[in-house]
Amino acid sequence: MKVTIDGHDVEVEAGATVLEAVRAAGGWVPTLCFDERQAPFGACRVCLVGAAGARGPIPACTTPCRDGLEIDTADERARRVAKAVVELVLSELPVPPAPHTELATVARSLGVEDVRWPGATHRVDHDERHPYLAFQHELCISCGRCVRACDEVQGAFALTATGRGFTANVTAGLDAGFRDSTCVSCGACADTCPTDAITEITLL
Amino acid sequence: MSDERFDLTVSTTCGYCGVGCRLEAHARGGKIASISPALDGPANEGHTCLKGRFAHQFSRSRERLTAPLIREGSGFRLASWEEATNRIVAELTRIKAAHGPDAIAGLASSRATNEDCYAMARLIRAAIGTNNLDNCSRVCHSPTSFALRRSFGLSGATGSFTDFDYADAAILIGANPTEGHPVVGARIKQATLRGLRLVTIDPRRIELADYGVLHLSPRPGTNAAVMLGLTHVVRRDGLIDRAFIDERTEGYEALEELLEAYAPDAVEEITGIPAADLEAAAHIYAEAENACISWGLGVTEHKYGSEVVQLICNLALMTGKVGRVGSALLPLRGQNNVQGSSDMGALPDTYTAYRRVDDEEVAQSFERAWGVPLSRNKGFTIPQMFDAAVDGRLKAMWIFGEDVAQTDPNTAHVVHALESLEFLVCQDIFETETTRYADVILPASAFLEKAGTFTNAERRFQLVAPAIDPPGSAKTDFEILTMMSRALGHDMGWASPAECMDEIAALTPEYAGVSHERIGRRGLQWPVAADGTDSPVLYEREFSLPGGRGRFAALPYKAPGDSADDEFPIILITGRRLQHYNAGTMTRRTNNLELFGEDWLEIHPDDAERLWIKSGDKVSVRSRVGRIETVARVTDRIEPGHVFTAFHFPEVRTNLLIGSSADVNTSCPEYKVVAVDVRPVPEMAARTPALATH
Repeated sequence: MKVTIDGHDVEVEAGATVLEAVRAAGGWVPTLCFDERQAPFGACRVCLVGAAGARGPIPACTTPCRDGLEIDTADERARRVAKAVVELVLSELPVPPAPHTELATVARSLGVEDVRWPGATHRVDHDERHPYLAFQHELCISCGRCVRACDEVQGAFALTATGRGFTANVTAGLDAGFRDSTCVSCGACADTCPTDAITEITLL
Repeated sequence: MSDERFDLTVSTTCGYCGVGCRLEAHARGGKIASISPALDGPANEGHTCLKGRFAHQFSRSRERLTAPLIREGSGFRLASWEEATNRIVAELTRIKAAHGPDAIAGLASSRATNEDCYAMARLIRAAIGTNNLDNCSRVCHSPTSFALRRSFGLSGATGSFTDFDYADAAILIGANPTEGHPVVGARIKQATLRGLRLVTIDPRRIELADYGVLHLSPRPGTNAAVMLGLTHVVRRDGLIDRAFIDERTEGYEALEELLEAYAPDAVEEITGIPAADLEAAAHIYAEAENACISWGLGVTEHKYGSEVVQLICNLALMTGKVGRVGSALLPLRGQNNVQGSSDMGALPDTYTAYRRVDDEEVAQSFERAWGVPLSRNKGFTIPQMFDAAVDGRLKAMWIFGEDVAQTDPNTAHVVHALESLEFLVCQDIFETETTRYADVILPASAFLEKAGTFTNAERRFQLVAPAIDPPGSAKTDFEILTMMSRALGHDMGWASPAECMDEIAALTPEYAGVSHERIGRRGLQWPVAADGTDSPVLYEREFSLPGGRGRFAALPYKAPGDSADDEFPIILITGRRLQHYNAGTMTRRTNNLELFGEDWLEIHPDDAERLWIKSGDKVSVRSRVGRIETVARVTDRIEPGHVFTAFHFPEVRTNLLIGSSADVNTSCPEYKVVAVDVRPVPEMAARTPALATH
């Protein structure tokens, strides 16, 4: 079927998402909770785009295309919401994310510079008991990518989302740490993490 | 990922197992800082395991060989490349003059690149003049290669690992991929979560057994009876594909006759598998629209391993489950380039693409290309080399990237052979158990330091590119082999591994269209036509045998080479651990050791209780040929009457226990069935086992 991305027509297979159509058209939308190795999740709301006739912005990663859909990736309201989301995410971190991380890249691309909301930030909490994998819990933004990598890519089922609201985070086993959980040390979590909340010890 | 933390990022192919993960190697200050999976890797699709991703510290280990070493008294001294070269040329020339070229033998390495293996083959065949050449696939998947050529025609998987994603059912026999081939293990596990009906067949209750619909636990050494039993049920219950049998195969009638003797009850007697489970397994496989069969060393490393692989092929042929996406036979090849090292002709009886050394036309084509006369006589296989060294026919060996004194069976015999040689060259990245017996040790390079190609278990040529330099004055294997050949008077004339691959392609119709440029990021699955068209699926229309027909093999079950008796009442099975790789030369020099630092012997609770053994106890394991000491771990993942351990640790030296029983067709050792006596060691155990006296 045919969809229009920023004025350009593109042919996509039935079942393709708006994000896939945007990428097929050579376009770009920022994403934070998306990883092409995992099923779309739709948690972060950073991939919002405008759709002709819709009441408001729609998430590109989880919305399936329909024939004739017209998408505006530069939709002003979608960009404004996405920017606010990233700003809120950053406001919870005690330190800015490292420049190479996806979160930092997305923040730069959306022009988020200063965070306007001072206040409580995550408590610094590091776990370096594993020879290769470290938690920096204060950088966790609860995007769920590590948990899904562990479940959907490796199948070790070692990681779990934990806590609620501001204290939401991720843990291996029942707070057992990587070594004493069912973790097989594949590192898929560190590979997908957009903030270095899980990272390689050697790169710290 | 390009970022400020790294100076250089290079796309390459993993040097651990045969899955062939494509990796991004990130270097900083001339050292590997990190490795991440390539998102477009055909076999790994953005994933890899703890070996590929993290176990790279060995590359900067202080124990790396950085200069040539020459034996002096009981030790070694540093030497220049010039001195090492002169010594090698002088000794090999002397031995060749005194005893003829067949007194010299070479081993290529399944960890090295295709170009390295081809260079080694050319060095031994052209510069030395003998076919005494083999590689470590001899001791792992040579039975697979032999059987696939017999049954289907070509020595490789019929499809790709992605076939698991399109299959409705699968049989996994004699393999533990979540540890041995973790990325394929993860793929199979994900497929089961989406509904793949998996049947696991293994004496141990492997992790994937928990995700399958049925687990069969045969007595070690009875795989042939299991396959014949499955085949019997498929035929008895009318689940065969008659049209496929009629149009595309031959020899079915002879098999039908044989099958009469393998009714489920009879098979239960031999294997211990309940008849009803065997019947259920046959139905799961045969009734699926598409189904795959995958196997590992639990099938091949047996006295009749090559016959079992043919019996596996029978099952696929009679149900028509071969030659299309989703229905593939996928052997899990052990090392990164165990497919390629044999493809390249690093074997005593074949040139590239398994063409026989006594095939006049083929031999002449190589004689024209290399400008020297070549022997038409088959050379020694690895076990034959050791026998010949002991009885004095073999005087010199060149062992490249292989630690035979740790990994080959009957260690005491191997050591006796190495000690009997007049001259031994070892080419490696570390000193190993084998280099202790060397006269010259050449410092070589790891996969992160070299250029060339590996061929993975899917027959896919993939590029290997250097991210760092070899340490000190170490050289790449390609440089060493071409330099030594030149010094021996045979200049191979290649400026680069890419030029070497061009020669391979020019001399090998099956790889006619292969070049480094064409391989690119996506790889090429052989056969590759001259125009570059590759072959993800084999046998879509016909088999690569005369007449185009697949061949059934009517081979009866025969008892394994060893069996339990009063003196040795328990069967030892050996295998691998997730955290370690083969002889452990690389992984034992990384933090993987922190995750798994000491091996253990798995023993069933019933046996443990009877023998007064508990987890953590030191135990003695004695076989007909040797004895080791290790630590027990009680687990019900193994059946009563069996014990299991790995062979990664020289401190344990498991292969002291393995006798000389080997596959009848390929002499692949029977690592998987060894009768042993297990008992607790009451006092503090010796950590280094003594070699048996010879």
